[in-house]
Amino acid sequence: MTRVRVTAPRASARTAVRGTPRALESREAAQDSEVGQVFVRSLIRSQLRLALVVAGGFLLILAAFPLTLVVVPGLADTRIAGIPFGWLLLGAGIYPVIGLSAWLYVRTAARNEARYRDLAGEQ
Amino acid sequence: MRRGTGTWQGNSDAQVNAGVAITAVAVVSLATAIIGFYGLRISRTTGDFYVASRTVRPWWNASAIGGEYLSAASFLGVAGLILLSGTDALWFPVGYTAGYLMLLLFVAAPLRRSGAYTIPDFTESRLASRTVRRVTSLVVVMVGWLYIVPQLHGAALTIHIATGLPSWVGSVAVVVVVCLTVVAGGMRSITFVQAFQYWLKLTALAVPILFIVFVLAGQGAEPQSLPAVNPTGVAPAGLYQNVSLLVALLFGTLGLPHVLVRFYTNPDGHSARRTTLIVLGLLSVFYLFPTAYGLVARMFAPDLARSGQPDAMVLRLPGELVGGVPGDLLSALVVAGAFAAFLSTTSGLVVSLAGVISQDVLGGSVRGFRLAAVVSALVPLGFAFMTGSLALAGSVGLVFAFTASTVCPVLLLGIWWRGLTDAGAIAGMVTGGVAMIAGAVSGSGLTPPWLAQPAAWSVPAAFAVMVIVSRATSHRIPGTMPRIMTRLHTPERPLATER
Repeated sequence: MTRVRVTAPRASARTAVRGTPRALESREAAQDSEVGQVFVRSLIRSQLRLALVVAGGFLLILAAFPLTLVVVPGLADTRIAGIPFGWLLLGAGIYPVIGLSAWLYVRTAARNEARYRDLAGEQ
Repeated sequence: MRRGTGTWQGNSDAQVNAGVAITAVAVVSLATAIIGFYGLRISRTTGDFYVASRTVRPWWNASAIGGEYLSAASFLGVAGLILLSGTDALWFPVGYTAGYLMLLLFVAAPLRRSGAYTIPDFTESRLASRTVRRVTSLVVVMVGWLYIVPQLHGAALTIHIATGLPSWVGSVAVVVVVCLTVVAGGMRSITFVQAFQYWLKLTALAVPILFIVFVLAGQGAEPQSLPAVNPTGVAPAGLYQNVSLLVALLFGTLGLPHVLVRFYTNPDGHSARRTTLIVLGLLSVFYLFPTAYGLVARMFAPDLARSGQPDAMVLRLPGELVGGVPGDLLSALVVAGAFAAFLSTTSGLVVSLAGVISQDVLGGSVRGFRLAAVVSALVPLGFAFMTGSLALAGSVGLVFAFTASTVCPVLLLGIWWRGLTDAGAIAGMVTGGVAMIAGAVSGSGLTPPWLAQPAAWSVPAAFAVMVIVSRATSHRIPGTMPRIMTRLHTPERPLATER
């Protein structure tokens, strides 16, 4: 790998910790420096922003479902295969939205973490 | 089409064939015990007992989470409520599932990375305070006990309806089986038991309703009523109640102790997220079926709503609409699934409560864990005997509101906000708890809805108090905070092993 990394100055004592089974400690020790903390803060911010955006988007869609039924008269009682559309929408239609939101979130959260690793990973 | 006569209770014709039902319950209990004992051979260390040594695969773990989460309220209560209230009650299954989405977004990976075994462990290490730990433990134990009681009520109802035996037999049977499995195998065997019970519950709901729909279609049966028609005179819930309920379910799930303890059995944060994604799929599939029961019962057996026990609708529908030997067999299957629901949720709660109690009071040994498990199961049994049965979905909804007002703010602010202090956490939990208790004590049909369904204001109040008190006591932010925040949010594996 020939990538140039932005690295934080690290105390030599911490080099000894790396590569030991105590991965947890090395992980935290590596981020103890000021630059490390900047990376951590930006990771937390981007993960929180992502979670809020997905949650907000989902809640908007959730609110839009019953609103649609109220706004469009007769829609709730229109039958599809004998089942009223209102029941289909609220009883089955919301689940794919939940699944899609979750899938998008898991993918993007993992991507945020990969970006963080690139920045702060191998110092 | 309707067989039995007006009143169901004490009417032998209305009961599911008792012998078949008792066999079904016995088979489920036996299967639970056998899988539990099989797990015993591979659980050896204290770590095994608490969290299965964190080696459970995502699919197993997801099935186990689904098995544990789908309680009496999901299996019996939701369908009964849909029969009573129609589309208004559809918010229950949607809320239960969407609560898991919130858990995925805000809690799953950081909580796994915290490295703590229980919620009190988490709050203690995050806020560096023994007092916060004790308050959290108290709240978690209250939540657990409150949540076990409706499971035992559900078991009492099911046994009474299915076999005609006295109600207490059902509650006692659940407690005995749960104590035996948990004491024998701890979390490792529980994981297998729960995973098995998810699939059992799904089968036990899906097969009868598909059969019923098939039979109805084959007969060309005419609906007795329209889905929109309210079968009883009870007024539907207002907008405030629906919103408050949704708040409770969305934010209550991520505070449930038995759900959270499951995340420690994932090897790392990323797999905790993947597990939750699978769980969401499993829950979505499952909740289609209570909805289908509610809809079919509304159209073809609206009389069941007027029996005074809508929670029993799922148990009675197969006998009502199919009848004969197939009806008996399908009823037995539903009874088996219902029993699996009581067993799995109760045992999940007992394991997480035993973890909290044994670590706080008994020093965290395997012996202490077993003792704590028995205590955690017996206390709610006492409560169950003393209290009358409410509607299952309603009483479980109140437990969700309680966790949403207490555990949820501590977790969310602890994970995402650097400014949280021990004083703020305690003040917020007390505020939420008191608001809920005020609502529950006065909680009857007579009180105004804002008091009987407090989540819509008690959750924001708990958050606000937590933030304000933390701001005022910001000198108490522990010095370990930056390091803990790093641990919560940074990925575990170094780059080298990832690629």
